[in-house]
Amino acid sequence: MGKIIAVHSYKGGTGKTLLSVNLAATFVKLGKKVCLFDLDFRAPSLSTLLKMENLEYWLNDYLNGTCEIDKVLVDLSDKIHNGGKLFVGFANPTTEAIREMSAKDRKWEMRALGRLLSLRTSLLNDKGFDYLIFDTSPGLQYSSINAIVGADIVLVATTFDRSDVDGTRRMLQELYDLFEKKTEIVLNKVLHDVSSKSGKEIMQTKIGDLYHAPPLGIIPCFCDILRGEGNIIFPQEKPEHPFTKILVEIASKIDKMP
Amino acid sequence: MSVSQDLINALPSKLLYTCKTHRGTSVAKQESLGKKPLQVLEKIRENLEKLNEKMEVMIELQKHGRKDIQPLPETPLDVMTLLSMPDHLRKTAMTVCRLGRATADEIAQQTHRARAVESAYLNQLVIMGYLKKERKGRKAYFYVDRESQGG
Repeated sequence: MGKIIAVHSYKGGTGKTLLSVNLAATFVKLGKKVCLFDLDFRAPSLSTLLKMENLEYWLNDYLNGTCEIDKVLVDLSDKIHNGGKLFVGFANPTTEAIREMSAKDRKWEMRALGRLLSLRTSLLNDKGFDYLIFDTSPGLQYSSINAIVGADIVLVATTFDRSDVDGTRRMLQELYDLFEKKTEIVLNKVLHDVSSKSGKEIMQTKIGDLYHAPPLGIIPCFCDILRGEGNIIFPQEKPEHPFTKILVEIASKIDKMP
Repeated sequence: MSVSQDLINALPSKLLYTCKTHRGTSVAKQESLGKKPLQVLEKIRENLEKLNEKMEVMIELQKHGRKDIQPLPETPLDVMTLLSMPDHLRKTAMTVCRLGRATADEIAQQTHRARAVESAYLNQLVIMGYLKKERKGRKAYFYVDRESQGG
């Protein structure tokens, strides 16, 4: 039975999309069948990053109930060589679509939750996917909470930014815990030296004290990531990069989770 | 109305007659039950189950000091509503969301709470307008009616 992962954060710019895309690619490299979803309907980004335009169907249509999920998913397995399968569901990036999605009411959101929950049957059970990865909007957005409710594991991308730490701690207590979700912290843009074993241990203790649990992963602030401007799929293009190795560690830990 | 009065009202009239003439002859008993005693017993069981569910809801409402609660119109069970619910009801509601459609037994297996407790919470969620309940034979199914709610 596969798993559904929601990648979420309190603040924007913490690296949710970077983590979602590269974690999906890592799983594919490990031979898994993966589906990545852009559920950030307020600021869609996967269509730009993966260079997809003029699609006939978007995730917006699936959640509106006007098409089935197989019409939405795009097979991008050829982007990752010698691996499993990668499918992507894109959010419509047009201003009109963003405006329309921002104006949905509670009844629509309730139905959208039902459509998201049914992906477990249609994709994990029937189509044999190993992982569904939901890239979400930051904070308490309807679409993000729907994604969290539908997920088995919530990966929280966070930084050492003070307001981000406070907000993340609040969300741990007042959001993820209330839904009884397995939550894992991934600390991004870390400036401290974590290349040595002792440096990593110090950082893990510090993060453990902040969030009352050890982090699933610590990602240093890599200039290569910034230089890549979001265009680099690290497991494919830079398999020896330290970031890729951290991703493999994170993916292995998730794979071993019950 | 007392529980015992509820119970009497729930019983089929033929059985009532049998109960009242319990000390009479066995012939009278057989006549009053007719040729289908099993069906009569089945009916009693169904009525007792319905009564039991009502009592569980009443007990649950009293426990939470909500004696005055009235059935509410259909209300969307969206994530913000789930967030604002008390923990005990959220757990039940989340499980129904995940299973789609389930009996109190099936919910209890997931939540590891007693069936009677889940039955009370489920019926409370029905009263609050978040869930719908449908009987099929002896089983009662609870579900979120996502399709019929307009908007």
